[in-house]
Amino acid sequence: MSVRRGDDGATIVLDGRFAVEEAEPLLQLLQASPAACLDWRQCTHLHTAVLQVILAAQPQLIGPCGDAWVQRWVASNAL
Amino acid sequence: MNALHEQFIAEARELIHQATDDLIAVEREGFALERIDRVFRAFHTLKGSAGVVALPAMGLTLHAAEDLLAAIHAGKLDTGSVIIDQALACLDQVARWVDDFETGGALPPSAGEDARSMAAALRSLLSESGVTEAVKKSAQGSSATAAEGRLPKWVSRLIESQQGRSVGEARQSPAELFAFSYEPDSQCFFNGDDPLNLIRKVSRLLAFHAKARETWPAVADLDPFACNLRLQGISAGGHAELADIFRLVPDQVRLIKVPLEALRLGQARGAGDDDRAELIRVVIEEQRQVLRAADQSDDMIGRIGAVSRTAANALRYGGLQDLADAIERAHVAAMSERNAGHLLSALDQTQASLPRHLSAAAPDAAVVSRPADAQVEEAERPASRAIRVDEGKIDALVNLAGELIVAKNGISHLARRLQDELEDRELARAVRREHDAIERLAGEMHAAVLQLRMVPVAQVFRSFPRLVRDMSQRLAKKARLVTDGETTEADKAIVDRLFEPLLHLVRNALDHGIESPEQRRTAGKAEGATVTMRASRAGDRFIIEVIDDGRGIDPAIVRRRARDRGVIGDDELAALPDDQVIDLIFSAGFSTAAEVSDISGRGVGMDVVRATVERIGGRASVISRVGAGTTVRLDLPMNIAMSRIMVVSAGGQIFGIPMDAVTETVRLAPDRVSRIKNNDGFVLRDRIVPICSLAELMKLPQARPPGLDARLVVVTDISGKMIALEIDAIEDRLEVVLKPLQGLLSNARGYAGTTLLGDGRVLLVLDLKEILP
Repeated sequence: MSVRRGDDGATIVLDGRFAVEEAEPLLQLLQASPAACLDWRQCTHLHTAVLQVILAAQPQLIGPCGDAWVQRWVASNAL
Repeated sequence: MNALHEQFIAEARELIHQATDDLIAVEREGFALERIDRVFRAFHTLKGSAGVVALPAMGLTLHAAEDLLAAIHAGKLDTGSVIIDQALACLDQVARWVDDFETGGALPPSAGEDARSMAAALRSLLSESGVTEAVKKSAQGSSATAAEGRLPKWVSRLIESQQGRSVGEARQSPAELFAFSYEPDSQCFFNGDDPLNLIRKVSRLLAFHAKARETWPAVADLDPFACNLRLQGISAGGHAELADIFRLVPDQVRLIKVPLEALRLGQARGAGDDDRAELIRVVIEEQRQVLRAADQSDDMIGRIGAVSRTAANALRYGGLQDLADAIERAHVAAMSERNAGHLLSALDQTQASLPRHLSAAAPDAAVVSRPADAQVEEAERPASRAIRVDEGKIDALVNLAGELIVAKNGISHLARRLQDELEDRELARAVRREHDAIERLAGEMHAAVLQLRMVPVAQVFRSFPRLVRDMSQRLAKKARLVTDGETTEADKAIVDRLFEPLLHLVRNALDHGIESPEQRRTAGKAEGATVTMRASRAGDRFIIEVIDDGRGIDPAIVRRRARDRGVIGDDELAALPDDQVIDLIFSAGFSTAAEVSDISGRGVGMDVVRATVERIGGRASVISRVGAGTTVRLDLPMNIAMSRIMVVSAGGQIFGIPMDAVTETVRLAPDRVSRIKNNDGFVLRDRIVPICSLAELMKLPQARPPGLDARLVVVTDISGKMIALEIDAIEDRLEVVLKPLQGLLSNARGYAGTTLLGDGRVLLVLDLKEILP
């Protein structure tokens, strides 16, 4: 898994499975650039803690989320 | 045995104790959620640890017990004594396995079989006792609530928010619907939990909502590892599945049965909106596809225009003017920067917010955030700062500190000599000063090291609630145990030796002291008796009392029995006042029980108590009032590593006498001594005290014939008997580290131990009880 800045610098790209320890680096990125979009299309699994960061920070999302369950039950409801 | 295993064993015992205490408390005081909660956690942690050290049989048993407790926790099962019994039996089994694991590093071969039968026994309770009944009842209860239109608001909201999306699924196979509201513990991420993963396991999820429990803080203040989510949903997968999924977090989950009608009602109300929402969703989704296909291609500008127009129109059709406006704004931004990203994310957001806008959502004020009890407890409990140290290491330290004291005493001796013999006063004083500093430091260090060995008496007390429960059941008596002062500390060596005497005392109290419920009722007492174990400090003494409110000890019965058994001479017995007569119960071969029972009454108990207590430098005494109860008091030293002794000389030798046996020293003018029978004696405060010569007792030549000089005696109090020990002189008073006699001397009687004096001589410390007649 990886959290990285997209090529344009304004996007944060999530790639792969996201475990609990990714919550903090992601939060730091979102804190550093509050206006950044979040591209979660390549993200295959989200841990609750990571999802919580996204729910709380409410970045602009570029979807659909690669984690089908999150896309089905979370992305279309809470965000 | 590696460190992990050692820790497992220590922790498991701790948890077993704790769970036992709580179970007994539940049985005695009735159902208390926080107790059940603690028991459940203990079982849960035990199961987890069993997994870590790879003991599947233990895990299997504990899993079954955990299910049972979850049912109790959820209120589906009463905490009857059958259930408590079985849970305690399970803990016993686990405790035996922990012992096996400690000695053999593995469970016995029969463990698998035992585990299966224990698990089966636990599960049978779950199925046979009214769990199914209770579930039915609660289901009926909640559907009745629903029929009256009182579904909690969060449930109605869930139903409304999900119209048209999955209710079809429920219609296909109308099963039981349950709404769940799961508020994960805020610390759950630290335990490795992934709450969402539990929800993912719900096989037939119809609705789901994840939202903040407390309003989200600013992004800058967000704690990524404190869970602040409330996860709510509706499942068609049945109650059993949800119960299983949320098995480990029952305290954080609420389940509510949702009647199917509620779902249909919601559907009918929102059907029109629903179709429109679906249409808009499809349109928006198409626009997203179009836009994504346009990535980097030439006609991007054209596509951006077309997509935003279509999307905005579709949204206006749905009456969603502000969403349409947002798309228009994104359109302008995308055009000016020639970047479709803005529009794409605007579309994503639109897609996400669609259901919210199409159904009039009920306000969510009904669900008030309730911090989980566990969380509060967690916050209040100070972090444990204890370290486990091998007892041997501490003992080594105690010994070293003790040796330091001895070495310091050696310097004291030198310093005194210097002062006497040295011409140079200044130098002698300087040595004296340094010596005083070392003395103080050595003393402080010794005290600090001894403090390491201090343990709370709770360690012994904790076994007793269970014991009292089981014994009173066997004896068909009603008794509860009250413990007091468990935090009182004493040296580990003392506390460790207390179990056996306390066991005898508690057994005696239950067996002989406490009456049967009928007898108590007749006597006008409450049926339930109370046995109190109380620990306290009195100066440098450590006091333990075992108090019962039973029938008390009848001095008349004690007298008769003492005569029958020949415990004491008839004359002596007749002279004894009642309060001293009952002290005879501590004599060897005395038993007041009418018959020998399997619990106590073999007539060995009380003399063992006194012997054990006296061996560690304590005294046992008893106070009793007929009909009102009995109090046995153990007066113990706080630690046994350090003893205060008096150094005396007799027959040309020096001996140590433990100070705790000495009540006073008296210089007797010849005319105070009178000859009584063949013995010398004198009167001290109206009591006749016989005089024994220490030199004679030790078979040493008398230093001087008993003549006309004043005689020096040390009055000792041994088990309430006063004897004066005649000595030649008192040499010193010391605090010493008493060492037991070792090697060839270890069987020598009459000595409590030895210690090294400052001048290098070995001092024999007498065991007065052994040498005095």
